[in-house]
Amino acid sequence: MPREVGLEAHEFEALGTSCSVFCVGAPHPRLVEAEHWVRSMGARLTRFSEQSEVGRLNAAAGRWCAIGPQLESLLGESLRAYEMSGGLVNVAVLPSMLAIGYARPLSEGRPVAAATVEARPAPALPAVLSIRPGSARLEAGAGIDLGGIAKGWMADRLVELLGPNSLANLGGDLMSVGAGPHGDGWPVSLAGTTLLLHDQGAATSSVRRRRWCGVHHLIDPRTGLPSGAGLEEVSVVAASGLEAEIVAKTALLIGPELAPAYCASHALAWWLSP
Amino acid sequence: MRSLLLKAGATCLTVAATALSALYVTAHLKNPAAPLQPAVLTSSQGAQVSALGGKLTVGPSVTPSNVQPVTSTYAS
Repeated sequence: MPREVGLEAHEFEALGTSCSVFCVGAPHPRLVEAEHWVRSMGARLTRFSEQSEVGRLNAAAGRWCAIGPQLESLLGESLRAYEMSGGLVNVAVLPSMLAIGYARPLSEGRPVAAATVEARPAPALPAVLSIRPGSARLEAGAGIDLGGIAKGWMADRLVELLGPNSLANLGGDLMSVGAGPHGDGWPVSLAGTTLLLHDQGAATSSVRRRRWCGVHHLIDPRTGLPSGAGLEEVSVVAASGLEAEIVAKTALLIGPELAPAYCASHALAWWLSP
Repeated sequence: MRSLLLKAGATCLTVAATALSALYVTAHLKNPAAPLQPAVLTSSQGAQVSALGGKLTVGPSVTPSNVQPVTSTYAS
């Protein structure tokens, strides 16, 4: 990958995936600081640790739980994602995730069992998640997994830390701000085509990765089962990393017949792969 | 007789007001051929090409380029 004059780049492994951050006109230590921020946020938002904020919130289902401002913001965005997707992007799919055996990070080994018969449709998120300043409450029996939207949300926050001409890519979910290394936008590859992004985000949703025992990790909240809508991978450019993630996931879940119209009204560019 | 005159007067006033309004609006049109702004994008209006076994649609606010990308979006 060529390095541009004035372009600083830094790559690292975090959040169970590959991450990279880019910045024009900023010192390299700022990129390292960004890596620390990603690791810190990842540790607070993972559902795989009982000590994380999300782990504590899930464990406290049925009563109010103190949360930090970042999780409070992300939970608010979760409700917005639910509305924007017509309920298809629903972080309350944790019981279904556990039912298909996704109870630990895939880096620690493949899930050992896939008991899909236990899966149930996910509850409406606004019915099970309540937020007030400094605390949140999940209804008893409910649980959340923020893995479907956290990377895009974090990429949006990360470019604010990096500077006015920067790009953050967290496992393929990315956000760009500024004019990029050449002044005409950040060159980003999407489906093998280079697109110049300027204050725009991009994300990919796929059922080709994270598969085991004949199932995959992308839950359709209408059934509580892994999606079988007919699309295998969707990449999207949108106004932010979070929006791109929401639109990509929604398009994948609604299938090939409705996805083009949905993307046309919510995305700036999109790639649909059957 | 008086009520008939009143009805006739009201009718004339209404017709005159309608005609004058139509004349005014017609005379003060801006460019009637101007396109709608912002342009409405539909799936068939974006630039659509085949890419990697799928369909890539690029709207007007995103610019394709031939330069080397610094990174990519991908499934993880």
